[in-house]
Amino acid sequence: MLKNYLKIGWRNLMKDKTFTFLNVLGLSLAFGVAILLAMAAFFDLSFDKFHEKGEHIYQVYYAEQTAKGSEATVTSPMPLAPSLREQVPGIARISRYDTQGHVTIYKEKELNLSSLYADQDFFEMFSFPVLKGNQQALLSEKNGVVLTERTAKKLFGEEEAVGKVIRLLVNGKEEPFTVSSVIENIPPQSTMTFELVLRFDNHPSYEAIKDNWGNRNHEVFAQLEKGVATADFEVATRAFTNQHFNNFIENAKRDGARPDAGGEYKQLHLLPFQDRRFANYSNGLAEVSRTYPYMILGIALLILFIACVNFINMGIAKSSQRLKEIGMRKTLGAQKKQLFFQFWSESLLVFLISVLIGVALSVLFLDSFKTLFRTAVSFEMVTTPLVIIGFLLVLLLITILVGGYPALILSRLGTIQSLKGKLEASGKNRVRDFLMILQFGIAIVLISGTLVLWSQLEFMRNKDLGFNKEQVLAFPIDGKKDSYEAVRLLREELKGNPSILGISGSDNNLGLGKDGSSYTSILGLEYKNRTIKTHMLVVDYDYVETLDLNLASGRSFSRQYSTDSLAVIINEKMAKELGEQDPLTARITMGDSTLYSVIGVMKDHHFQGLNREIAPLTLFIKPDWDLYYAYVKIAPTNMMATVDHIESAWSRIEPNATFLGSFLDENMDRTFRREKVMTTMISSGSLLAIALSCIGLFAISLLVVAERTKEIGVRKVVGASIGSITFMLTKDFLKLVLYAFLIAAPVAWWFMTKWLESYPYRIDLSIWFFIGAGILAVCIALLTVGAKTMKAAMQNPVKSLRTE
Amino acid sequence: MLLQLNNIFKWVQQGGQRVFLLKDVNLKVEEGEFISIMGPSGSGKSTLLNVIGMLDGFDEGEYNFLDESVHTLKEKHRSELYKQYIGFVFQAYHLIDELTVYENLEMPLLYKKVSGSERKAMVADMLDRFNIVGKKDLFPTQLSGGQQQLVGVARALITKPKLILADEPTGNLNSQQGEDIMELFKELNNEGVTIIQVTHSEKNAGYGSRIIHLLDGRKIEG
Repeated sequence: MLKNYLKIGWRNLMKDKTFTFLNVLGLSLAFGVAILLAMAAFFDLSFDKFHEKGEHIYQVYYAEQTAKGSEATVTSPMPLAPSLREQVPGIARISRYDTQGHVTIYKEKELNLSSLYADQDFFEMFSFPVLKGNQQALLSEKNGVVLTERTAKKLFGEEEAVGKVIRLLVNGKEEPFTVSSVIENIPPQSTMTFELVLRFDNHPSYEAIKDNWGNRNHEVFAQLEKGVATADFEVATRAFTNQHFNNFIENAKRDGARPDAGGEYKQLHLLPFQDRRFANYSNGLAEVSRTYPYMILGIALLILFIACVNFINMGIAKSSQRLKEIGMRKTLGAQKKQLFFQFWSESLLVFLISVLIGVALSVLFLDSFKTLFRTAVSFEMVTTPLVIIGFLLVLLLITILVGGYPALILSRLGTIQSLKGKLEASGKNRVRDFLMILQFGIAIVLISGTLVLWSQLEFMRNKDLGFNKEQVLAFPIDGKKDSYEAVRLLREELKGNPSILGISGSDNNLGLGKDGSSYTSILGLEYKNRTIKTHMLVVDYDYVETLDLNLASGRSFSRQYSTDSLAVIINEKMAKELGEQDPLTARITMGDSTLYSVIGVMKDHHFQGLNREIAPLTLFIKPDWDLYYAYVKIAPTNMMATVDHIESAWSRIEPNATFLGSFLDENMDRTFRREKVMTTMISSGSLLAIALSCIGLFAISLLVVAERTKEIGVRKVVGASIGSITFMLTKDFLKLVLYAFLIAAPVAWWFMTKWLESYPYRIDLSIWFFIGAGILAVCIALLTVGAKTMKAAMQNPVKSLRTE
Repeated sequence: MLLQLNNIFKWVQQGGQRVFLLKDVNLKVEEGEFISIMGPSGSGKSTLLNVIGMLDGFDEGEYNFLDESVHTLKEKHRSELYKQYIGFVFQAYHLIDELTVYENLEMPLLYKKVSGSERKAMVADMLDRFNIVGKKDLFPTQLSGGQQQLVGVARALITKPKLILADEPTGNLNSQQGEDIMELFKELNNEGVTIIQVTHSEKNAGYGSRIIHLLDGRKIEG
């Protein structure tokens, strides 16, 4: 029997190849895309889940009350972790955590490696399995180093790593370390990334600030004892916090800060470690939001939904051609159950084919997907038994629902009715209309989302940031030489080249460079009995000129003034913080008692990109603090040749370093990565949604035209024009799109407003985005339906009447 | 007695009024009869045939088939009943276009859950009997109208029914093909199969043993 079902199912599929092709194409595309998107989402959600004790590990963070309101931060002073362990009960393990880049030397090899400084508890808390060497007490030796497998390979190739001595360039000195263990490579789903691990007391600034409660530069992770709740910890640390951060609290009170709900000015909190990837500290408390992966999952579901609606609508549309068969089968004694099973098994066949093609597509496009959406996902990572079972369950559910609905409708038809080949006009049109409205609504939401996202992205890319981003090339200074010496040599190498318009350096990059690292350094200082916070940047001479920053008043750093090592340049935001009539008279201190005088005020520029508001900024020129990035401004003609020239000059200065130069506009673009990925994702989603909706609409127009053939014939006989009939047929579809628009526009507006709120610099949400999306949807619908209805309207009425 | 209809009424509501399709129809059919139902268009011939075939219900009256009272049966039972005893032949043949001649013949057996080897034998028998062995792998659209109707009759016969219901079986055929089919019916009737046919043609009605005339849903003689 099943063989008979499948045989007739297959022949029916083959009979109308276009229809079948459209159906299978839609479903396979949807399955393929949904699989990829769902994989990306699950990958995102699986971050940091691989640590066995992960559920008991927390990140320590602070909620601080200042005169400006509540602020949250994760950086701690060095004595915090040891003191917490001694003075606060309930902590099982605790480790400090800080990564720094160090030039690592083995024989003639020099590599810049990301080095983690951690306490001994680190490997007890986190699951990084040891491959070779010391298994138990990692980091027990001060001069021991733990390498990942990949790092070991990079440094030693096939040689045995354990026991080898490598040298790290720390604070300008080469320090020897002995490899004690090699651990497995860090899984891609880890928020913690590093290439080697050193004990924390090797930290470059350890000796200077190990007992300093005012200087904060690393994160702290703690594992609580069983049965201890985070709330217990928060209460237990209050006295501790008040004792050790007394200074801060006094200042906060003086500046007029208001205490939090618990009456505290500074409160320690714990964030579950597994939430680390999704935490946002911008509102004074850690807010965990998994919106992004869920949104991706949502898009996957929407696409699947649209394809399923198509399948249902097309199945019903197609059924008018099967009526005779249904009737005949009934006269031959087929029961409802048997008919249902027959049509359902046909759906199953189509689904099976589509899922197989879909899976094949997702395998085929996985690599391009990974580059396009910047995800490191792979099938091995997500194909856990749970996910596979879940996938199969979802599939089964979809097949039952989506395949079952048309089958149910068909099996219920009356025998005589179906033998006559007439479909009963019944309530199912309402189901169809509802589904189509939903389908087009989704498409309109996605289209308007695309338009808004794209405009915001363009807005951010084209906005004047206040510095020259087109002509300035930046690259990391990461060789063995002293950074000032390196910049000096660079000036010498490039001297006399007319294409080089300026050279400077600083200790931070603008935007995200090719090295992918970014950091912020914020200085809290006392000014006239107030605490002021400012971003600080150490620069070399010519920084202002190289970047084309505009001075509002005063002057730039100059080699002619020997006193400039005690001078600073501030931006307008900082000048406002200082609150002086003439900011050039202000003198600020930095921790120690040294006074720095303000010699210039520059106009505000977006040094942190457009995702943040412009913050106070102070430029220092202190040759005893390292520079990390070099900046070269070049003439706009023949830029590529100049870049090559700079690269070869740099390779003469630092032969072992890789040149990672990129223009500042590229760096800025990299900070929009999230927006870009989102725009690509939503625009490809909306493209697919529109295409699928059109396939469905096309199928329905086929059905409607077939249903109304007689009516069209009669109308023509009594003198209706082609135009009026086309209009009559198209009107109904346009009505659906219109309803969809009315429902979708407010939804889209709400989502887009919410999304834009997170940008301090944003476009105005004009109503035209939504109207544009609506018009686009209408046009596409018209095109899809138009051809078929026109053809129906033009047909000879005698022909259409004869079919009755 | 094969079947008996007592005071059968069937109507539809149209604009608040009852329009009668069948009005107080009484009919008794003995095994081995060959009955022709005649009447003008819209007189209820097909409706009556469908009621007898249990494809369509009725609103009032009693219907006994063999010893079962059809009007009290559930759909599942009814379908068991007609699956077992009744074969249908249609004017438009109603063969399934996607199935070959062989598969079309096999289909009723599938619904009767006949075993595979038995099916094969029965289909081969039928093909033999109607001389269409050479056509068994063709699709209906590759056959002439007469051949299609031959397959239609074969399909109706394959379950060895007691009763064959034919709704204008020659309506789409030319006179020679029509005559062949009617001869076939005569032959079947002689073998003991009861036949009820709807027809417009006096000549075809002549093959039967009894003629029933219908007008506006009412039986007027016979």
